Amino acid sequence: MQAASLNLLSKHLVGMVTPTSRPLLLLHIFIFPFQAEMILLEMQDPNTGVRSQPQRLVITTIPHAITGEDIVTWLADRLQIDVQEARSFGSMLVALGYIYPLQDHKRLVIKPDTSLYRFQTPYFWPTQQWPVEDTDYAIYLAKRNIRKKGLLELYEQEQYNRLHKWMNHKWDFIVMQAKEQYRAAKERKKPDRVVFDCQERAYWVVHRPPPGTVSAMDYGLDRRTDPNADETQTSDYYERIMIFTQQAIMRPRVKSSVSIGALVKHCATYIGHDPFLSACLPSNPWLTDDTTYWNLNMSNVETPTKMRVERWTFSFKELLSDPRGRDDFRLFLKKEFSGENLAFWEGCEDLKWGTAATMKEKAEQIYKTFLARGAPRWINIDGKTMEVTMKGLKHPHRYVLDAAQTHIYMLMKKDSYGRYLKSPVFKDTVKKAIRPEEHKFNDAQLEQNARNRRPSLSPIILRQQEQELRAKMAANAPVDITQLCRFTTPVPHFSVYSGIIDPPSSNTSPSLPFLPHTPICPSPISVALDSTSASERRLEASEGEGEQNTEARVPDRGNVSKSRVALSLRRLLKRGCSPSAMFASLSPKCHTAAATSSRIQPITPDEPSQAPPRRTGNFFQIKVDIPPECRIYPIESEDEEEENRLASEEVVGTEEIICPWESLTQQNGTG
Amino acid sequence: MGKEECKTMLDALNKVTACYRHLVIALGSTSDSQNLREELKKTRKKAQELAVANRTKLTSLLKDKSISKEDRAEYERLWVLFSSSMELLEVDMKRSLEIGQEFPIKVPTRHFIQTGMTGSTNAVAARAMSVQNMKYEADSNIDTADLRDLQTEITQVTQMVEEMEMKVQVAPWAVVAKQEAGAELKSNMSVGNSSVGVISICEEEPKDDESGGAREGRSASIGAVVVFFVIVGVALVLGYLVINMS
Repeated sequence: MQAASLNLLSKHLVGMVTPTSRPLLLLHIFIFPFQAEMILLEMQDPNTGVRSQPQRLVITTIPHAITGEDIVTWLADRLQIDVQEARSFGSMLVALGYIYPLQDHKRLVIKPDTSLYRFQTPYFWPTQQWPVEDTDYAIYLAKRNIRKKGLLELYEQEQYNRLHKWMNHKWDFIVMQAKEQYRAAKERKKPDRVVFDCQERAYWVVHRPPPGTVSAMDYGLDRRTDPNADETQTSDYYERIMIFTQQAIMRPRVKSSVSIGALVKHCATYIGHDPFLSACLPSNPWLTDDTTYWNLNMSNVETPTKMRVERWTFSFKELLSDPRGRDDFRLFLKKEFSGENLAFWEGCEDLKWGTAATMKEKAEQIYKTFLARGAPRWINIDGKTMEVTMKGLKHPHRYVLDAAQTHIYMLMKKDSYGRYLKSPVFKDTVKKAIRPEEHKFNDAQLEQNARNRRPSLSPIILRQQEQELRAKMAANAPVDITQLCRFTTPVPHFSVYSGIIDPPSSNTSPSLPFLPHTPICPSPISVALDSTSASERRLEASEGEGEQNTEARVPDRGNVSKSRVALSLRRLLKRGCSPSAMFASLSPKCHTAAATSSRIQPITPDEPSQAPPRRTGNFFQIKVDIPPECRIYPIESEDEEEENRLASEEVVGTEEIICPWESLTQQNGTG
Repeated sequence: MGKEECKTMLDALNKVTACYRHLVIALGSTSDSQNLREELKKTRKKAQELAVANRTKLTSLLKDKSISKEDRAEYERLWVLFSSSMELLEVDMKRSLEIGQEFPIKVPTRHFIQTGMTGSTNAVAARAMSVQNMKYEADSNIDTADLRDLQTEITQVTQMVEEMEMKVQVAPWAVVAKQEAGAELKSNMSVGNSSVGVISICEEEPKDDESGGAREGRSASIGAVVVFFVIVGVALVLGYLVINMS
């Protein structure tokens, strides 16, 4: 009965194997291992199977050794395929573990010469339903340990230690079983013992490949359902098909000429950069085991490669996604004094990708640093976006700054990017970019490279290094020149920072340094001030009077509604800022915060003193004081009376404080 | 004492499991034969007997609430040994069923895999059964008949293992092994251990009763040494004669 099925299946297999169907063949080897087993069984036939010869060792002779070329010719004959394909089929059999090489046992390929192979016993055949157990591997390693008297290979040693750690509870069993199996093996005759050792070793080379070898056993995850099994055609199945086609009809469509054109353009642009399609300079590390390519393209490298720089010219997204490119761009923006755009964008990315626990603080930081009136690194976004953002900041979530971020991104892309590509910074980088020479390794060198492979730095260490770098950068960050409008930033704040720009009244009131909180609550993107505690103290002193004026000015405001919103926003921020002061105390410059934290008192006593419309029970309130002369977006109101502004700035400067609770508590404390 | 008995029985089970695995590995290869099937059957039966005996013993010991903590830890360790042995046995039995079905003995068109192993496995089986020589008395249709028995036995063993897991509250991961890494090297794994007698293994090191014939390798090396000395003796004699002559 089995002979008949054997014939049927073999005919089936032959029918499927055609010269053009090699990938299909390989697929079948993975999906239907019993077909390989059918072929193997046919090979065993003493008349029509593969010719076998004895293997002569020093003392013994072991039968049933077959040569590689015999296997290949037999396969080519039997399956009616050409020699090349027979070779790959044979290599597949060896890689899967049905046949094992007797010499060079770690390289699982068929060598079509006189090198010897042998069939593996059915117990050690790779079948999916017999998972390879670590227990068995541990027993094998223990046995090998006994045989080699403690001299295991390095990777075996590592595995042994690992298994000893993880299977410690079974270790007694493993040792006992290993000893017993070792003794049982000794009961057999010498040639059989040798064969058994070879078999077992071959099995474990397939299933626990030593480093530097390719394993054919990687088959992906175990799935609950078999995607290749036929699905029963129930009504549910048809319903799903209907829903799918309906949705497909409703999808917006693009003209194929357009989409194909885009694809062609993409391919044409990137073909030189695709390591599969064109040579990777100096050499593809996956092929030659030489990591120069990765070293040259690390994110903090001094001189990038020419290919990398070329990529930056393809699109703005490419530039930003490459850390080195981003560094270059940052340098350029620094020269142009518009670094806050990139910093804001990075801050938004940080917010989007960060942990949920830190989101609130991050949003606050970003607001304080970039968005609030008088922020140290104020970014220039249009009114509508600012409105939307402010509204969203009341209930901050991951994507609250998305609109602003997109606006800034488009701004950078349309404006700065073009100038960057023409700038001397970029031209310099292009000139300095290196083009590495192509490696030409011969076989011996390739093998040596394979032997010398070492694991790279752990990603944990890399991340730590990145964080250190970022912290360092934040500590030394150049202060941007904030925007041209003096309405946003009170002049005094420039004195706090190293003055890169010098607006006329920059030095008039050094006594009013600006934000007490920005040094206290640094964010990764925030500017670290050179401000000293002296300037902060001065600020606190003046805050009290500033706030008084603010109170007085409130009723004079024109657009009360906007201010209300802004006030409620500020209120929320005030509430929200007290815990952040705790976090802030962890930061390096926060010793001052500890001093001032006592001043941050709960808001409720202040509330009654404020005008009722300001009071909202919102979670995150940011109050933005609007001096009566200015509107919110000073870019539009450049023509306001500057003298008036300047005069009041001294006093009003403190109105711009983003965290009004600080001033309020000052009021509380002093008033 | 209960503990010693337990250990002895566990060691016996361990030995039988190891031998059974060796026999199953030989299935389907050119060292397969009717004898092998019979050996498998006998070994399997013995393994089952031992398993049942061990289980009753250990469960009775573990159920005893009045044992001390160290004792309990020890019994849990023995329990882990036992359950691991049973797992191995179960897997091996299932595989022997599958391979046995794939490679029937009597079908002429069905060829065994030419693995290079041609010797017989009766020494291994003898070791498992703790006898000097195996006696073969089975009928010629042992492969098919045995397979049915095997199926029932597999279900029995599976049931037993499940029962064990359900009934006995032992956390296997909590057991601390007594052997450290490399403990297998400590035993005297000398060449001449053909222990065909009862082996008494205590915790740390195996003490083998070397009550058996010498091994081939051993005899070969002894022969080599003897030959060497003979040659040296002859050389000395000749030298003496030469000196005497001159």
